[in-house]
Amino acid sequence: MDNLLFQLHSWPRAIIHVDGDAFFTSCEEAIHPELRGKPLIAGGERGIVACASYAAKRLGIKRGVPLHEAKKRCPDLIVLPSDYETYSLFSRRLFNVMRRFTPQVEEYSIDEAFADITGLRRKHRASYATIARSIKKEIKQELGIGITVGLSLTKVLAKVASKYEKPDGLTVISGRHIPLYLKELPVEKLWGVGHATSNYLSKLNVRTALEFARLPEETIKKHFTKPGREIWMELRGESIYPVVSEEKSTYTSISKTKTFAPPTKNREYLFAHLLRNIESACIKARRYYLAPRKIAIFLKKNNFSITGVEAKIFRPSAYPMELTGLVKNLFESVYEHNVVYRATGVILLDLMEDRYIQYSLFESPVKIEKIEKIYEASDFLGEKHGKHTLHLGASHPIDQFGKGRRGKPTARQATRFFGETRRKHLGLPILHVKV
Amino acid sequence: MKEKRTIQSVEKIIAEFFRENRRMPTYSEMVELLGVRSKSVVNFWINKLVANGILTKDTKGFLKPARASFSLPMVGEIAAGFPSPAEEELRDLISLDEYLIGRRSSSFLLKVSGDSMIGEGIKPGDLVIVDRGKEPKNGDVIIAEVDGEWTMKYFRKQGGTVVLESANPQYPPVKPQSELRVAGVVTAVIRKYH
Repeated sequence: MDNLLFQLHSWPRAIIHVDGDAFFTSCEEAIHPELRGKPLIAGGERGIVACASYAAKRLGIKRGVPLHEAKKRCPDLIVLPSDYETYSLFSRRLFNVMRRFTPQVEEYSIDEAFADITGLRRKHRASYATIARSIKKEIKQELGIGITVGLSLTKVLAKVASKYEKPDGLTVISGRHIPLYLKELPVEKLWGVGHATSNYLSKLNVRTALEFARLPEETIKKHFTKPGREIWMELRGESIYPVVSEEKSTYTSISKTKTFAPPTKNREYLFAHLLRNIESACIKARRYYLAPRKIAIFLKKNNFSITGVEAKIFRPSAYPMELTGLVKNLFESVYEHNVVYRATGVILLDLMEDRYIQYSLFESPVKIEKIEKIYEASDFLGEKHGKHTLHLGASHPIDQFGKGRRGKPTARQATRFFGETRRKHLGLPILHVKV
Repeated sequence: MKEKRTIQSVEKIIAEFFRENRRMPTYSEMVELLGVRSKSVVNFWINKLVANGILTKDTKGFLKPARASFSLPMVGEIAAGFPSPAEEELRDLISLDEYLIGRRSSSFLLKVSGDSMIGEGIKPGDLVIVDRGKEPKNGDVIIAEVDGEWTMKYFRKQGGTVVLESANPQYPPVKPQSELRVAGVVTAVIRKYH
């Protein structure tokens, strides 16, 4: 039974998944060669490990661990603040190198991408495996970062392949070898299988990915919803999820969270942070010409427990001035007196295009237009002098008490070339070596 | 006299529409916009813009802007008012960015601190652009790690051995003892005065 094949044909489709190895710290090692191979983490400004280098991982330092704990484990750990500007530059380059091989590249996250290379063997005069190897080689040589590449018939299988050997791996799963790679793989490790699904599967006595893939079609039809059926088919080598190369031009939700240091009990200060998150989220929404129909807020206590609440907005709007009343009410409903909080967050939900918003009968269009005008000016000022140049009075305490920024600035923020400003930098990563 | 239609003027009109409406105009809208008599003329210009890489068509055949600078004024526009044959020439201009940064995906910036390449005219404080993906050739200025130290030197290959020379008589040539790792080739030097 184990030898039964799903696919006789080796390459009905060829999909590559590229995954950065400890991406943030890899980028840091590429621009600071003296850090290569050292225990290193990024995320210093957040107080937790956002990314640990492989040298740090070997010492048992994992993602998401609080900084002081990590330091206890490894006293000479190098802690860097996350330098998202540099990481984004590397990320864009990673995708661009992939686009040299095929136009069909899907940017899945900052350090992950899918590429469909079906039918390109003749063009590159190479096998699919060789194309995958070339992509890996060029990224490594030009960017100086390590990546892992998985090649297979579907997106789900390509993900299995890129997880199989990491870091610096290259795994190829052709049609006839699918069962080999699924045999040992716990089903919950699959892309798209979460808690609920894996619990359900264990009730059906399915523990490995192979057992899942071997379930008969009737069982799948009877017991699973569409996503489950799709993963099942992808596992059997039948490509369902296409590689979507369209750039992201819209969002379904926008969220903004900020942790502040030190944590606070102060009601005004806490509310100011919440409002500032709303202002930030609204700026982003307006940039994409969107407005939310629903808004959710949450407060995080110092013991990491979260309380949140959501509400529908009477008329979709991405203008904080119109949302403050509602947000104040939401805040009051979750705020507890004399409790220490460490973070606030906001999620704008059910976003719609802002051009199709209808005024209701009882609103004053004149007032709304005035608010629109104010935010037009605010966005203009923000472009010119930095975000939040013009902000709500109620979010002003942040600037009064300080933003609670921790640690040192990134190497990029500390370097300013002649002619650069605080906000506008040259668009190339900087090599920090002394020559 | 009516102004002559050029690729630039058509692009400008469409870009303006795109900026205002956040979508591409339909063919019938473009008949109005461009002030032409039929959709086939529109089609003629669209094909030209597509051929010039200004617009592309997506998988469904819908038009979309292709260049990142679609919303920005182009270099070519400085010369508005030139006779049209010259405008065709202006299409081939490259920006200073493209001129200095040959291969964007593998180029890095580096601020020079030492004076080892002073004879080459590279002073402390200058910015150099380093291409990481390039194989060094004889005579190239390179950034390399030699026996654990970072340097900027000329790359010289004599027979099978590599010698790194500086452009400063104070520093003798270096023969890598244990390890030489070339980080990249210097492709440009930038010094900004004002």
